[in-house]
Amino acid sequence: MIPQKHLELVRMGLRSLVGYPMRTVLTMLGVVFGVGSVIAMLALGAGAERELLKEIGRLGIQNIIINSIKPEVPDTSNQRSNWISSYGITFKDHRQIVDTIPGIEKALPVHVSKKTVWQGSKRVEGTLYAVTPEHLDMFQLNTSVGRNLTHLDDEKLSRVCVVRSGMLKELGIYQDPIGFGLNIDKETFYIVGVLKDDSFLGYARKALSVDAKSSEIYVPYSSALRRHGTRSITRRSGSSEATDVELNQVVISVTDLDQVLVTARMLGSLLERNHPEKDYELVVPLEVLSQRQKTQQVFNMALVAIASISLLVGGIGIANIMLATVTERTKEIGVRRALGARRHHIIAQFLTETTTISTIGGGVGVLVGIGLVQVLTFFTGWSAAITLSSVALSLSISMAVGIISGIYPARRAAGLDPISALRHE
Amino acid sequence: MKAPIISLQGVHKYYGECEPRLHVLKGIDLDVAEGEYVSITGTSGSGKSTLLNLLGCLDNTSNGAYLLNGRDVSSFSDDELSKIRNEDIGFIFQSFNLIPQLTVFENVQVPLLYGARSISSTTDLCHEMIESVGLSDRSEHRPTQLSGGECQRVAIARALINDPVLLLADEPTGNLDSNTGEEVLALIDDLHHQGRSVVMITHDPEVANRSQRRVDLRDGIIVEAGAA
Repeated sequence: MIPQKHLELVRMGLRSLVGYPMRTVLTMLGVVFGVGSVIAMLALGAGAERELLKEIGRLGIQNIIINSIKPEVPDTSNQRSNWISSYGITFKDHRQIVDTIPGIEKALPVHVSKKTVWQGSKRVEGTLYAVTPEHLDMFQLNTSVGRNLTHLDDEKLSRVCVVRSGMLKELGIYQDPIGFGLNIDKETFYIVGVLKDDSFLGYARKALSVDAKSSEIYVPYSSALRRHGTRSITRRSGSSEATDVELNQVVISVTDLDQVLVTARMLGSLLERNHPEKDYELVVPLEVLSQRQKTQQVFNMALVAIASISLLVGGIGIANIMLATVTERTKEIGVRRALGARRHHIIAQFLTETTTISTIGGGVGVLVGIGLVQVLTFFTGWSAAITLSSVALSLSISMAVGIISGIYPARRAAGLDPISALRHE
Repeated sequence: MKAPIISLQGVHKYYGECEPRLHVLKGIDLDVAEGEYVSITGTSGSGKSTLLNLLGCLDNTSNGAYLLNGRDVSSFSDDELSKIRNEDIGFIFQSFNLIPQLTVFENVQVPLLYGARSISSTTDLCHEMIESVGLSDRSEHRPTQLSGGECQRVAIARALINDPVLLLADEPTGNLDSNTGEEVLALIDDLHHQGRSVVMITHDPEVANRSQRRVDLRDGIIVEAGAA
């Protein structure tokens, strides 16, 4: 047969859909909402996954982060004096890691301490990050104003810092902040740069031990170590507590992505040997990401499965109406058969109609889904991403729904005896 | 005499699977020559409709042979019969049987959808057909906007679109008043004069008298066959 004839058959099939607009629209509704909810669910799922990638991916999937953590019950034998609690990763550990573990590109030391920051008579609670310049690059801590920390700062033990813009107002700095001196533990650090306003989110914040409540202040690693040492004292309602942590954090970058998990295992066993008291944690973003992605994907599947039920109901709706239509159009079927339509022509006609209904319904459903996503994201602030593949998927599913739901009514129509169909009134 | 376009030889038709089966046609022998105009009359229950269904290739014979245009179609499959209906037979029904959601033009087009010819190559033909039944100005109308006589003329145009060897009319004036009925019959007369073979089923003796030959059916057998 000539394709044009198919087109003509499709056109004639559409005719009967247009002939009963209300019924066609109602038949379509099931698929419209089915596809709409599938689109919305897929978009929310994709959004959540993207958010996840943004959140954890910022840590760098080639990185491994070691954090010192305070053990639950301090091991008294390891304390240098009975009022200073000492724990965590040591310089020795760091050296050992660099010397013995292969495939490591960088192992950046980080020292973190809570400090009170003064500027004139104003003060804020801040978290001082003593970091190497590479650290800022690694976590995309870029400045919007001024410059970032450099190796020269580190070598010269300069008292400079880059800060989050949030703390400036609290410190009463409204004009150009560059050059202001912040008093931290009897030392003055001069602001050379202000960081762009993209804080760490969710998991990344936890993994880098960034405190949401206190502003981050980044200072050159060597300067801070020289000026403040590794001990810090926190005063709490009457009592004071001193801690001595040599390294709060080591950020390790692995040369080869394939080796990340192997390297993490080696680091794990090294640290386990050195720290039986488990005063550290090993964060492997790659691992966390894939775990979270797996969880998210299972969750997405569940959402889509639930949404698919409405698509199924839509399909049943089409089949139902079409069955009724077959009865209603028995006479027409008889006439077409008398005029020479073969069974397959009748089947094609009905399948064309159901597929057209469901495909148009799917198209409208995509729009409904997009609208739904817009409304949802507007009111809830959830992130969502409508992907081309989800649109393609929904459209092909709705097409399939049309074909499947049309099969039974179409076969019934084609199976009618032409003579009794003709006599049918 | 020319070769018969229709030849029924000892045709029997039973209905039902188990005994006693309903014996509707009890040995029909009938020849219709090419270009002949035959009417089949009979009371209800005489087997007229069954005979029409057989002649129209809507059904198979239980026994006996049906030669249409020289081919024995009595054992044809459903698809083969559909093809015959499409190409060789033009139906005219009592209740017109136009498809209500399609326009006049599209109704005339329907048999073309199931045939071998392309649609675009036959557009002119459809217009010609509609013109020949005098409905050119109605081709975009729906059947519901037409009178009974106009509907039947559309049906005739549709029946002729594939240039069939046999025109099969089933009480073509049954739903029409006498004036429009006359118009339709005149149209059929014209077609006959143009050389088309026509078989018409009717219970109206006056209508039957317009044909060349009357075949009277009673209780499944032909009791009277002769010139009208």
